[in-house]
Amino acid sequence: MCDFSGKLIAWLDHELPAEETAAVERHLEACSVCRCRVDAYKRASSEFDAYCEEAIAPNARRGMPRWVPVVSAAGAVGVLMLLFLILPRTPGKSPALHAPEAAAAASPAVVGKGLPAPVRSVHRVHRQHAVAPVQNQNENSALAQNQNAYSLPDEPVIQIAIPAEEMFPPGAVPEGMHFVADVTIAADGSAERLRLRPRLAGFERRTTQP
Amino acid sequence: MSGDAAPLALPLSRVSTGACEATTLYRELRKPLLRYLVCLGLSSDEAQDVVQDAFLILHRHLSSGGSQENIRGWLFRVAHNQARNRQNRYDRNFGSPMDTEIDAVSHEATPERAVLEKEKFQQLGKAIRLLTASERECLLLRAAGLRYREIGEVLGIATSTVSDTVDRAIKKLAEKCHV
Repeated sequence: MCDFSGKLIAWLDHELPAEETAAVERHLEACSVCRCRVDAYKRASSEFDAYCEEAIAPNARRGMPRWVPVVSAAGAVGVLMLLFLILPRTPGKSPALHAPEAAAAASPAVVGKGLPAPVRSVHRVHRQHAVAPVQNQNENSALAQNQNAYSLPDEPVIQIAIPAEEMFPPGAVPEGMHFVADVTIAADGSAERLRLRPRLAGFERRTTQP
Repeated sequence: MSGDAAPLALPLSRVSTGACEATTLYRELRKPLLRYLVCLGLSSDEAQDVVQDAFLILHRHLSSGGSQENIRGWLFRVAHNQARNRQNRYDRNFGSPMDTEIDAVSHEATPERAVLEKEKFQQLGKAIRLLTASERECLLLRAAGLRYREIGEVLGIATSTVSDTVDRAIKKLAEKCHV
């Protein structure tokens, strides 16, 4: 083994002083064995670096099989579509949720002014709507009570449009489908409830075309 | 300059500079630090915690006008010590990183190539586990882009020792893997 073999890795790492660097480079021009060694050390270094790189990556890859997110997303879309089709027709069968109207009516100013801006606001804030359901309650209309028992107001205070591709893997949701999040704000200004509603506008439009 | 204005102005400018610098360093060094800590044997969550703590300490250090010389080495040293404290606290063996097999086979590879790649990685994994703790730490810090002097500062050893250790470790890997 020649005298320079102990300096080859330091030379690769640019850790040698200028004089020694020049000497090693002169030697490498003449010594094919050391050139092979340098190649082997380079490969060992890059393999080690690649191994380290993979030490972080497999956590995500090993976590779940690749088919799980796709099947989950398809299942979620199926359930959402089923809810979308069934819920408006059978309101009495749905679990009763407490109506948020009283809280909203108690603080119309909060609903109108004190809210933080949503990330993506589709509809602007409907201030007058927050107090409207109270009138329905006062009238004691059976229909209104039934509707209020299972659902949020028809026109939510804030709507946030969420593109389906941000929640599901590409291709898992039919093209043109998106979701609208209805956010109900409590009297103290915090978000009280959030409901996702699938929108099939694009889907329906496509089926009407020849 | 009036005597009243100076004490207020100086800390504010320091805080602002420190925050800006810490943010830039965070973008640049977060991933290498995480990789180093995970390879050292910490779980992903623990590594994230340690990195966060290290940057918090860095922010305080810069805000209080601490030395800005070799911040990268300083940050790795803080993270290294935090990791060591954490592992001592839970009575774990600091010298057994990379125990898990890494399945780094590309999904696009053909079956034959996938088998070869897997074998190669398993062989490398075995060779890495045969290195001493010091050799592994030196190689990990070197893979993170630290110079020998900085590695020496992080591990508290002389630069010449780092050079010898790296030389020995790379030669062992090259020999074991026949690369």
